Amino acid sequence: MTVRTLADRLASVRGERPGAVAVPPLGRRENRSEALARWFGAQLTIEPGGAAVVVERAVQLPPEVAVRLADLPSACYFDTETTGLSTGAGTVVFLAGMGRLDGDRLVIRQLVLPDYPHEPALLRRVVAELAACARIVTYNGRGFDLPLLVTRLTIHGLFRELAALPQQHDDLLPVARRLFRRPLGGARLAVVEAGVLGVRRESDCPGNEVPGRYFSYLRGGSPDLLADVLDHNLQDIVSLALLEAEVLRLRDGGWRDATVLDRHGMARELLRAGATDEALALAETAIEPTLDPVEAHALRRLATRLLLANGEVDRAEALWSGATRRASCDAATAWLEVARIRERHRGDLVGALEAALTASRVLDLALALGRGGGMLAIGQVRLRVEARLRRLRRWVAAAERRRHRVAGARAVA
Amino acid sequence: MLLDRPTSADEAIDAFLADPMLEPLVAAHRILEPLPPRHAPWPEGLDHRLVAALRARGVEALYTHQARAVAEVRAGRNVCVVTPTASGKTLCYNLPVLDAVARDGTARALYLFPTKALAADQLTELRALADAAELDLKTSTYDGDTPASVRSVVRAAGQVIITNPDMLHAAILPHHTKWFKLFENLQFVVIDELHTYRGLFGSHVANVIRRLRRVCRHYGSDPIFICASATIANPAELAEHLIEAPVALIDENGAPRGRKHVLIVNPPVVNPQLGIRGSSLLTGQRLGERLIRDGVQTILFARSRTSVEVLTTYLREALPSPPGHQSPIRGYRGGYLPNERREIERGLRDGRVRGVVATNALELGIDIGGLDAAISVGYPGTIASTWQQMGRSGRRAGTSLSVLVASSAPIDQFLASHPDYFFDRSPEHGLVNPDNLHLLLDHLKASAFELPIPSVERFGLAETPTLLEVLEEDGFLRRADDDRYYWSHENFPASSFSLRSAAQENVVIINTTGDRHRVIGEVDLFAAPMLVHEQAIYLHEGAQFHVDRLDWDERKAYVSAVNVDYYTDADLGVTLKVLEVFDEVDPGAGAQRQRGEVMVAWHATLFKKIKFHTHENVGWGPINLPEQQMHTAATWLVVPDEAAARFDRDTLDGALIGLARLARNTAPLLLMCDSRDLGVVAQAQSPFTGRPTLYLYDAVPGGVGLTERLFGVAAELISACREVVAGCPCLDGCPSCIGPMTEVGPRGKAAAGELLAALG
Repeated sequence: MTVRTLADRLASVRGERPGAVAVPPLGRRENRSEALARWFGAQLTIEPGGAAVVVERAVQLPPEVAVRLADLPSACYFDTETTGLSTGAGTVVFLAGMGRLDGDRLVIRQLVLPDYPHEPALLRRVVAELAACARIVTYNGRGFDLPLLVTRLTIHGLFRELAALPQQHDDLLPVARRLFRRPLGGARLAVVEAGVLGVRRESDCPGNEVPGRYFSYLRGGSPDLLADVLDHNLQDIVSLALLEAEVLRLRDGGWRDATVLDRHGMARELLRAGATDEALALAETAIEPTLDPVEAHALRRLATRLLLANGEVDRAEALWSGATRRASCDAATAWLEVARIRERHRGDLVGALEAALTASRVLDLALALGRGGGMLAIGQVRLRVEARLRRLRRWVAAAERRRHRVAGARAVA
Repeated sequence: MLLDRPTSADEAIDAFLADPMLEPLVAAHRILEPLPPRHAPWPEGLDHRLVAALRARGVEALYTHQARAVAEVRAGRNVCVVTPTASGKTLCYNLPVLDAVARDGTARALYLFPTKALAADQLTELRALADAAELDLKTSTYDGDTPASVRSVVRAAGQVIITNPDMLHAAILPHHTKWFKLFENLQFVVIDELHTYRGLFGSHVANVIRRLRRVCRHYGSDPIFICASATIANPAELAEHLIEAPVALIDENGAPRGRKHVLIVNPPVVNPQLGIRGSSLLTGQRLGERLIRDGVQTILFARSRTSVEVLTTYLREALPSPPGHQSPIRGYRGGYLPNERREIERGLRDGRVRGVVATNALELGIDIGGLDAAISVGYPGTIASTWQQMGRSGRRAGTSLSVLVASSAPIDQFLASHPDYFFDRSPEHGLVNPDNLHLLLDHLKASAFELPIPSVERFGLAETPTLLEVLEEDGFLRRADDDRYYWSHENFPASSFSLRSAAQENVVIINTTGDRHRVIGEVDLFAAPMLVHEQAIYLHEGAQFHVDRLDWDERKAYVSAVNVDYYTDADLGVTLKVLEVFDEVDPGAGAQRQRGEVMVAWHATLFKKIKFHTHENVGWGPINLPEQQMHTAATWLVVPDEAAARFDRDTLDGALIGLARLARNTAPLLLMCDSRDLGVVAQAQSPFTGRPTLYLYDAVPGGVGLTERLFGVAAELISACREVVAGCPCLDGCPSCIGPMTEVGPRGKAAAGELLAALG
């Protein structure tokens, strides 16, 4: 019986646990930082926290884009590439790209991590670059890039550096979701880029391959493995700038002739930007052309809210009459809205009851004609109709009694 | 029945004990004499607000164990407090923690409880004390139920975080940067219910604590560990294995105790031929009914959820309440809503609830005060948990009663016939094996994700550098020029394994009955071929499910609800090969005994359908699943040649089958483990020893230390087994000893007895 060594036991343990990929052992590389910098023609500085490798490139922006962006407070367009998707303590930022406007060019500086021990140098440089601008612009930076940066700084005891970061952070992901998710069926940057900005990527490195490329480079592969990743990151940053300009263009009336646009989302975007009149104009003009009943309903509600706030009750009611023609669930819902407007904003209980009764009839008809979705959808609307009817009947009756009492009192008097 | 109803619980218990109907059932009766309280003065300088709050509750002085815990913690020592149920254990940690927080608002503490329910209870108790002392304590539980909106507040501002090891492993440590306020200022880690951290789970937790310490070191903190445990044989040793640091043991209980009667009751034999006894459930119900009727507030413990419901129903039928009134008998088990549970606990405290039937949920320290009587229906599996259940009855003054009703299971019968084992032996050992390679590699990965590991650092084993190299070769880690190993994989390692199971993956059981598929449970990969092979009847919460399809590659079993009169039992072919011998005992005269590493392979080949009640075999079918293997630790006993030579091969086979069954049922008594944690294989002619050999192995890859322990106590195991065989009233074997004669053969029982004599 031979005595089994730890190595034997390890071998059997590993044999029972598939999934690991054997990687050939690697020789220690001499000076990664220098090799990396040479490969990309990058600037190399040795700092207290390690070596910083900075690749700088400039991209010409279309003139109208540059003009629009120039009006905004100075921005740093920021995007990172990481060793994983979790924001846990083991995910490392190995590439931080930052773009700044310089005339009609976008100058992009990419900090590349030569190896893990150099991370503090990279982090310090990232903070310094970001701190030099008035605001940070990202795509999902709130959910990912910034928390990860905080995590990395915390691990290295550099938490205090965070105070230097600009206060304003414009994350374009929620904006893109509002404006493009419905028409494009998604709001990933690549989707928005292709569908709205007209960007065509030549040969792109798919995002899910990014960590693997970096690990291969670290294990002794060529820096060339990272070339596609750097290009990918650069394009992301350029797209960020283009997207911000496009959002500005849409806000400035560009929405009128936009083909790919969620009108309701755009109206909300305008409201957020404080352009209430524009938002109302958009909502009112967009209702008729839209073919999507859900969008139409949302637009009507939004326009109604704005009109009622201005006291324009007639216009608000008229908005819904357009939707009451066909016998369908939507028509019943529209009648309910009419009832609500009459009740709340005109104090016309009888008119409201009439509208609610019509809603009920329309629903009966929709059911009979087999329109307006499944039993569940009709049932849900039915519940709302019945609730309002009950309430209105009670109130109308109460008003009736009150009038009689008053009339009776007068007669007695 | 008595004509005059007793007027107090004391009298009722005395009357109960004097009742002649009880006498034939009693297998043992001991009386624990009352103990007076032992008090200690208030520790110097304890925050006066805390003292005032306790005084307002009627606490005039601390018990000695509480005062000592405060003193040891203040002296900077890790402690392990071991005192019985309801002795004021929680004050042992709440006092030093609150005292520290009162003095320094930045101080932080982490409380670990094995379950969410316990964490919620402790939160209530801690808050109550802090409020009474007018301390502005920021504390919260942090677990799967914590709303996302609350989480960030808890992370930044929580002074006492109450959570469980699973959350620490999967959510807190991997995201330690979000918790840096906690880790920078962590002064105390409280580990309550320490005894639950044993076996595989404990071995995992020990590794989680290694990771916790690394993170604390990174942020410059070095917390004191305060552990609290139920009575086990080796609390300090278990604590030291878990936290890998010396602890001061505090086991002198200063709390008072009233007189207590402890009974072991064995239902009468109803079929002497087959050795079948009356139902423990019905016996327990009769005793409980009698006690509750006489005004004795009683808790009954049943072993399964189903028996809780059955017992509750029977008791309510026997003791009907007036129409329109809430029955004073309540069930209490996992699966009840928190509000319902709180209401039952309140009812128990204020006396509205007169009887409660529980699973072991209550063992774990939820505060219901002391009841008059506790009845355990069936042995709960370990001596320690039996004492915990029994500890549920007991008042500071006056008499209380605890009863264990033995079921027909072999362990129960052993205890009924050998009550000394229960009363006089030290309870079980809590064992862990944090250096199990399987676990160690997983946690090393998780820890590297949390912080890079210097190549000279030691994580458990002295051979850590070798393990790090292995993980580098496998592509998980990478050693950089600064001689530290960095996580170099895109996965998130902590999510790839659970602390509560050994297998990397479980088979998910999906119920396809009804219009929506629903996951109803999981079984680990090792047990899956036996439990969820195709056409198996899988039992879940008392309902039967037929396994329609097992997708082995996807690890999914599709089942549908059925109602049939049979269950299925898979035949498992187990082979065992010795890989290495670590240790051996070879006395000249006695039997040889070895311990080492083995490879166990098992292969489910066919299953039988067995009819309920009659146990007839009503059909069979093949199982087509791949063989499974694991490497684990084992101890084996070799039968000497001259003993084996006395029997023909059939008799020997039968006797060995019987011995395997007996050993498997008896060993958990010595090891404080579930009988499923241990596997047994008997070989009539072992290829390794060349003789009849009985192998006992850890049923977890890599082992958790059970059989290592068993190697040391093998003589006790053998003598316990001999006593079972000698003491069992059956003629040729029965389910309570070595198994029925149909399985062990006509001479099986006699032969087993002789083999045991030769082994011992």
